[in-house]
Amino acid sequence: MSTELKRALYNIAALADLGQEITSLNNFREKIQAAFYVITGTFLANKGAILFYDKSTKKLSTLTQKGFAAADLDRIHPEDLMLLGKNKPCCIGEYPLFAVADAEILAPLWVRDELIGALILSSKFNASPYTTDDFELLNVIANQIAITLNNHSLFMDITEKLEENRKLYEEMRHIYRGTLQAFAAAIDAKDAYTKNHSHRVAKYATAIARELGWSEHDIEGIYVAGYLHDVGKLAISNDLLNKTTPFTPMELFEIKKHSTLSHSITSKIAFPWKDVADMVWHHHERLDGQGYPEALAREAISDGVRIITLADSFDAMTSQRPYRKKLDVQSALKELQKCVNSQFDNKIMLVFCKVLDKEIKGELPEPDILPHIDKDSDLSVISALLEGIIEELSAPERAGQSLAP
Amino acid sequence: MKSAQFSVHSKLCGDAAIIYPVGYLNNLSGESLVKECGLYISKGITKVVVNFSETDLVNSIGISLLLQIIEDLRNIKGTICCTNMSKFLSETFKMLGLLQHMHVFQGEKDALKYLTAGGK
Repeated sequence: MSTELKRALYNIAALADLGQEITSLNNFREKIQAAFYVITGTFLANKGAILFYDKSTKKLSTLTQKGFAAADLDRIHPEDLMLLGKNKPCCIGEYPLFAVADAEILAPLWVRDELIGALILSSKFNASPYTTDDFELLNVIANQIAITLNNHSLFMDITEKLEENRKLYEEMRHIYRGTLQAFAAAIDAKDAYTKNHSHRVAKYATAIARELGWSEHDIEGIYVAGYLHDVGKLAISNDLLNKTTPFTPMELFEIKKHSTLSHSITSKIAFPWKDVADMVWHHHERLDGQGYPEALAREAISDGVRIITLADSFDAMTSQRPYRKKLDVQSALKELQKCVNSQFDNKIMLVFCKVLDKEIKGELPEPDILPHIDKDSDLSVISALLEGIIEELSAPERAGQSLAP
Repeated sequence: MKSAQFSVHSKLCGDAAIIYPVGYLNNLSGESLVKECGLYISKGITKVVVNFSETDLVNSIGISLLLQIIEDLRNIKGTICCTNMSKFLSETFKMLGLLQHMHVFQGEKDALKYLTAGGK
């Protein structure tokens, strides 16, 4: 085989190497470094550089280089490069503007009508001159490198836009949460006895959902449902909500409307979370079908509803109401336990107790329930009670207990 | 059996370093060969033998890395000997004009004998 043919095969192999490297799964820096080795290995150049032109700053930066003085490369101006042919390599000696010591070849890199960078090479290691074939090969390589740089530039633009959108989303989320809290404050302000109730229900529900291993997205959903579960109370009269004597059947009927009203309001909002309106609507349902507004039972009641129901009941029990005194945490837990499987779900109650126990023992860095319980509570007593409840609820026969028909 | 995953190991034999590239010298992992030589050069070693018995494929990336080693040694007036080269490697180096910049020997012993005799 003649040397010329061997050389031609070597060049073809080099182009294949270049294609393989720039389409590899390597990161951009690795791709450029590998492409740089392919070029310097193909032309036996002991010095070289690949420069990138940043459209936004209108400056060239060195992506990789070997052998040249950094100050020389810094003196290359993009405006001067724009005067040269697109992706056409030229002898640098013909252009005194590019005063880079030992540089012999320069190829401005273009994609369509945009300058994207430059490729610079020194003389060959074996001192042979660059041939016409070399220039043709360099032209092909310059096109390939230009496309790679352009793809990277587009990727960077998209990444930048993505970051802007992420920030915008975070700002909107912040505003959204603020609005939600303002709304909840308006709901709770209707009833002097339920100050911060919506906030606490949201926090308790979040803690249970997190312990259950829900995704962050779904946790956000139940947080919102917790805040809005009583939004229908806005349509109930203040006199009725703050009544200190027992409700008449008619008044009770009126009060019970609030969950359906909450559903009517929230179902008009296109939440990014599923089931918010359902959680709000059914937070007074019971597993035994004795709840309202639809008397749903067992499987018809979703986990989300079961969580909100328990969180709502626990907070109602541990809060002062016009018609009764608040219960201490131990009494409330015992009351909840009594109603497991008839009103509340065994699994949800178990998880709630586990979270509270972990919070008391300092095992959770950001407690959601503990900060809201009575400051005078004896935590060691509560913890002992919780351990007992957890043991009982964890027993297989209890966990699998079915509801009475 | 030649491995496609490139690695390099080496040993010091008198005042010469013997470098064993293993696998295809055709991607960025070949930079370890330059680093290995660089470690010996930084310790004052000027004689390097590269034993290619476990490397029979070198592409343009590998050539670029070998150029770097040749140049690093040239800068310190050192010597590079290449041994156990396959026919493909010998012909590639010859076609690229690299043989003038290295000493080629059949085996490691010949190279060490040459270096011990003060070969430059």
